[in-house]
Amino acid sequence: MKSLKKEFPLHIMLIPGVIVTLIYAYGPMAGLVMAFQQFEPLSGFFKSDFVGLDNFRYVFNLPDFKQVLWNTLVIAIIKMVLSLLVPLILALLLNEITKKWFAGFIQSAIFLPFFLSWTVLGGVIIELFSLNGPINGLISSMGLEPIMFMLDNGWFRGIIIGSDVWKGMGYNMIIMLAAITGINATLYEAAEVDGAGKWKQMLNITLPGIAPIIILLSVLGLGGILNAGFEQILIMYNPTVYAGADIIDTFVYRLGMFSQQFGPAAAVGLFKSIISLFMVSTTYYAAYKFNNYRIF
Amino acid sequence: MKKMRPWKMILSVTMILSLLSACGSQGNGNANAPSTPKEDTTNSATDSATNSATAPDPLGKYPETVTVTEILGYNPPEDPRTPSGITPEQNAYLKDLKEMMNIEVKYKWTVPSAQFEQKFSLAMASGDLPDVIEVDQKNYEKLKKQDMLADLTDAYAQYASPALKAYMDSDGGFAMKTFSAEGKQLGIPAFEDPFLSTQLLWIRQDWLNNLGLQAPKTIDELEKVAQAFTHSDPDQNGKNDTYGIAIQKNLFFWGFDVRGFFNGFGAYPSVGDKQSAWIKGSDDKLLPGLIQPEVKTALGKLQAWYKDGIIDKEFALKDENKAVEDLTAGKVGISYGEWWYPNWPLNSSVDKDPKADWIAIQLPGIDGPAKSLVPKIRSNKIFVVNKKMKNPEAAIKMLNFYIEVGNKKYKDKNKAADGYVYNWFNPRIANPVDIDTIYSEVNKALDANQTEITIDDANYKTVADTFKATKDFLAGDTSNATKGVNWGQYYSRAAKDGGWGLTRQIKENQQFVYNEFYGLPTPTVVEKGGQLDKLMQESFTKIIMGGSLDDFDKFVDSWKALGGNEIIDEVNEWYSTEATK
Repeated sequence: MKSLKKEFPLHIMLIPGVIVTLIYAYGPMAGLVMAFQQFEPLSGFFKSDFVGLDNFRYVFNLPDFKQVLWNTLVIAIIKMVLSLLVPLILALLLNEITKKWFAGFIQSAIFLPFFLSWTVLGGVIIELFSLNGPINGLISSMGLEPIMFMLDNGWFRGIIIGSDVWKGMGYNMIIMLAAITGINATLYEAAEVDGAGKWKQMLNITLPGIAPIIILLSVLGLGGILNAGFEQILIMYNPTVYAGADIIDTFVYRLGMFSQQFGPAAAVGLFKSIISLFMVSTTYYAAYKFNNYRIF
Repeated sequence: MKKMRPWKMILSVTMILSLLSACGSQGNGNANAPSTPKEDTTNSATDSATNSATAPDPLGKYPETVTVTEILGYNPPEDPRTPSGITPEQNAYLKDLKEMMNIEVKYKWTVPSAQFEQKFSLAMASGDLPDVIEVDQKNYEKLKKQDMLADLTDAYAQYASPALKAYMDSDGGFAMKTFSAEGKQLGIPAFEDPFLSTQLLWIRQDWLNNLGLQAPKTIDELEKVAQAFTHSDPDQNGKNDTYGIAIQKNLFFWGFDVRGFFNGFGAYPSVGDKQSAWIKGSDDKLLPGLIQPEVKTALGKLQAWYKDGIIDKEFALKDENKAVEDLTAGKVGISYGEWWYPNWPLNSSVDKDPKADWIAIQLPGIDGPAKSLVPKIRSNKIFVVNKKMKNPEAAIKMLNFYIEVGNKKYKDKNKAADGYVYNWFNPRIANPVDIDTIYSEVNKALDANQTEITIDDANYKTVADTFKATKDFLAGDTSNATKGVNWGQYYSRAAKDGGWGLTRQIKENQQFVYNEFYGLPTPTVVEKGGQLDKLMQESFTKIIMGGSLDDFDKFVDSWKALGGNEIIDEVNEWYSTEATK
């Protein structure tokens, strides 16, 4: 009680954040009622008819839904794993570079694509991988048949995942680098005295040192298990790769925006949120249970 | 609390308060927004009261400014002489409208037309609609169902100018009747001559000459020509940089697509409205053109052409703009499309390469020229008024205004170079038989060797524009516009063998097939049309790119199972009860 009294002003300072969250994160949740309605936009929430779970039934029975769900999971999981693994390797490598200016340069270069929007980048990537693009120029100069990357299901998925990891890797890398910097330097000195080489140091000091951050990043990442990258795919996909790259979000987008079926679109959104909540809770619980690690 | 310094306390409290008040005022702002139009309309309600005391004047000026909110999806100005950088708000027509009628147009938002559909869906979802709206049939149906549309019966009866009434009566009131319900006129349709949709084949005569070939009459001949265009250097620049036929990822669209190609096989899949076309079967039932066996034959040919490089290997990545780029850059020499191609984009092709000589021919078919699919009515644009608007007659008066300024007395004023962008002005209804009037009047004047157009009615501007361009083109005069622009106007509207000239012949010779369904989208189309369209795009694109041709049969089965059978029933139900046969 005493501490509450002492921290009271700090709690007051929390209020603005809480209010903003209430308005912009909790307020719109009222709109979820659409998922249970035959929603007519101009009649609004109050006059639209309630249809129970019909919207869910409708969506889950659409022949595309299984494919779309599968695509989403595959793309999202690979993206998630790689966007932890690649930055981790980069961070460990960068940490070993002793020339400060060089490390800084590399770091900025890796971070740069993070700031580009998919609208721009999508167009660039389509051009890069087109039949007359530089990649195919390279391939044909080696005497091989050019490949239609953007029109081939296998390649397209790879490009989606690869480009997303490439674009985002700088961000996680910086977080991990920061964590590495936070490790107590005396640990390394002690290890050196004990005769541990660079490799052993990395395995036994650096990795355990940044484990909490890695866990944090994966828990946060799992919340987005059904987010396979809407903007990116919407800009880059085309009918020939629907089978491998149509994801829940693009599916909802077509349902809501072009067919104006807001009810079913909201139902899919709600479904997504429930899965995400479940994933975040379980991983969080697992991290706590097995590793005794808590974020909050 | 005792450790807290007073100034710290004050600081944190003020911070919180300022944030709170910021949030609060934001909320107010939102609450105010919808009520603003209401204020305007209360103003104008008194106007209409004062107005209705005197006799309604179709072109009269309101004593006090009436604000009309609109939204706009816009294409670039068609006329290259338009000042660059002009925005829809700066359109000179709006200034004149204010002067003549004291009506002020406010745009709630404007977006390039490609984004309009999405943005409009959003606006519908949030219920934030303007006073006067241009809608398509699907959205008309939605707004009608939700009772959002104002009754325009009285406004139209009292305020429509004689010219507007003449336009609406030109089809015997057929289109007007389609958009009324229970004796209420709920929308004013901007309908056009359905033959404007007639498919033609545009082909470069200069390339044919270079290769010593004839314009094709059959698919086989077309194949030979297209192969030569692809492999035999038709532009004689020594490089292998051309291909045969322009095509883009939307197979059935409003242009640069393959509707005409399919028609050549006696296949009538769609008029480009994201749903199937309907043709009459043997037992007086309507059949969906999209799933007929002729479509499979046509897909087979397209597949072979894809393999041969006659069509772009990456067409599935390219939209209509990319196809247009290739056309104007002289990379491709054949395109299927409607009468207006010379007006855009072929005029740019001519300006870029003065040797480019595009001609229009009737669709090549299996054994001789083929019939084109034509809709029964062409009206995908309906002007409706929001029920909340207090003076719906303003919309009618705006229609009057646009027709009025086509008269001769405005001819020196309304020039594109002065910022008049006609295709941005809404609501805008053109003479439904506009093109045909231009064609006959210009040809009449040419035959009589006139130097000026003599008609003096609302058609003056359009007829005189084309006449001037025609004269300039025939005399090689480029002082007013480039060769391409003059040629474009002439060859699309006035030339006897041009876009409209050829379309007229096709109409006269009965070289067409009607899309028999002209009702509003059926419930299943509204609900499942998007799914079915996706299925079609995916299946057809894959087949063209080398998939198994028998996947077409699978497509037909899925199409039927996913709602197609219901649509067939609904359409035939409509056909037996409501269609005028």
